[in-house]
Amino acid sequence: MSEAIFELDNISYSYLGKIPALCGVDLKVEKGERIALVGANGSGKSTLLQLLDGLIFPDKGIIKAFGEELNESQFDNPEFSRNFRKKVAFLFQSSDVQLFSPTVKEDILFGPLQLGVPEGEIKKLFHELVDIFGLEKLLERSPHQLSVGEKRKVAIAGTLAINPEVIILDEPTAGLDPRTVRQIIDIILDYSQKGKTIITATHDLHILGEIADKVYVFGSDKKIIRSGAIQEILSDKQFLEDNNLMHIHSHRHQDKIHVHSHEHLGHHHEGSN
Amino acid sequence: MIKLSRGNNFIERSIMGALSFLKESIFSDEFAAKRGLLQLLDERLKVLLFLGLLLSVLFSKSIFFIVCVYALCLLLTALSSINFGFFLKRTWIFIPLFSLFIAIPALFDIFSPGEPVLSFSIFRAQLNITRQGILGAGFFFLRVLTSVSLCVLLVLTTRHYALLKVLRVFKVPQVFVMTLGMCYRYIYLFLDIIYNTYMAIKSRVGTLHSIKKGQRIVTWNIASLWQRSIKLNEEVYKAMVSRGYSGEPKTIKL
Repeated sequence: MSEAIFELDNISYSYLGKIPALCGVDLKVEKGERIALVGANGSGKSTLLQLLDGLIFPDKGIIKAFGEELNESQFDNPEFSRNFRKKVAFLFQSSDVQLFSPTVKEDILFGPLQLGVPEGEIKKLFHELVDIFGLEKLLERSPHQLSVGEKRKVAIAGTLAINPEVIILDEPTAGLDPRTVRQIIDIILDYSQKGKTIITATHDLHILGEIADKVYVFGSDKKIIRSGAIQEILSDKQFLEDNNLMHIHSHRHQDKIHVHSHEHLGHHHEGSN
Repeated sequence: MIKLSRGNNFIERSIMGALSFLKESIFSDEFAAKRGLLQLLDERLKVLLFLGLLLSVLFSKSIFFIVCVYALCLLLTALSSINFGFFLKRTWIFIPLFSLFIAIPALFDIFSPGEPVLSFSIFRAQLNITRQGILGAGFFFLRVLTSVSLCVLLVLTTRHYALLKVLRVFKVPQVFVMTLGMCYRYIYLFLDIIYNTYMAIKSRVGTLHSIKKGQRIVTWNIASLWQRSIKLNEEVYKAMVSRGYSGEPKTIKL
């Protein structure tokens, strides 16, 4: 039987009590699932991720995590808070927000130390992550001395340093060069194969097929307007265009200007131009 | 082509000058990475040495002793492969900041009565600069100069994270060390934001044509930076909470 990690029932959230960010969202995430949240800017994806990580709490509706309701008073209990934080890790959209420690090494170690992970385990995982991300030479450097790609890798390493069950990623590949994007996708795939639950918010429809099995699309009315398998959603061009997820673009193939929708499933069939 | 007036130059020079000064003097690891005498010294020992010198300068009543410590400071600068001009510029810029408002009044007989050396009157008020005043102000000035030089030398020859580690070794509360580290980290980010904002303004409106307009833009920038810092503060706190922070930072040796 499948085990529910998150259950959201009619969740609404507004900033300052008057700017709606989410209006009646229902969602169920099961253990080991890989889901993606897509939608135009300001559609509520990041807000939903913060709700899932117990950083903010809904105005209306109920969120359950691991079968227990998430609310502020639950997090006042240190035991509950520690257990939840050990299980759920969140990669923030801006690496500058996440990298607040004086050095890369201290930043990676921050999470496990606060959560009281045994020293031996911390050291083992730390060295593993340093190897995976190739951070050996950066360990004593300050985050402000890193490139955007390096910052993102350190932020992901810090997120994974607690060996979480659930990994929440807010735009993990935004603004990165193709090689770093590839590296990050490979790492996500690796953790997915280890049975981790992965929830990713992204604009990058090119990576959807690799990092998720199911996609939830947010509309401008701050609701989930559609969900389903990646192929099914990505092949509905009209739906993607209507929701600002695809645009018409033109490019040149040898001497011909080629105009078509910016598709995310193969449009250059063999032999055609 | 946009011609620069004196006012335009002033605004641009002020912003860029302040940014590059802060980046060079606070964030540059250039000198800390060199292989000089102080760089090779163990950080704990170095901090103890400088703390000792600093305290002795603060409590000493001998001008000769303070002059000797300043001379030692200059010698250490040379032995630590630090550009002399850079070091003097970095130390002397702080001196008026710390000493001017205290040292100048101390010259006059109102605060330092004694033997007049120079007399003049302002608005019919007779003012005398006294020998005791000159000695007192000179002594104060020398003390500030030596103390600032010691601090600048310590910061220039030590990487900032090493300084933070030493604070931990000396049992400074962890929350204080962490706050200090975060201040350092985010001041740099804000310097970058100021620089980029200024470049964005320059790219869109060219060089500022009037001081008044420039002042207005600078004022708006200060307000916007304030708002950003509040937002960043909230976000960083969320990032800390998300990773298990509950008010008591913990550390480990690896």
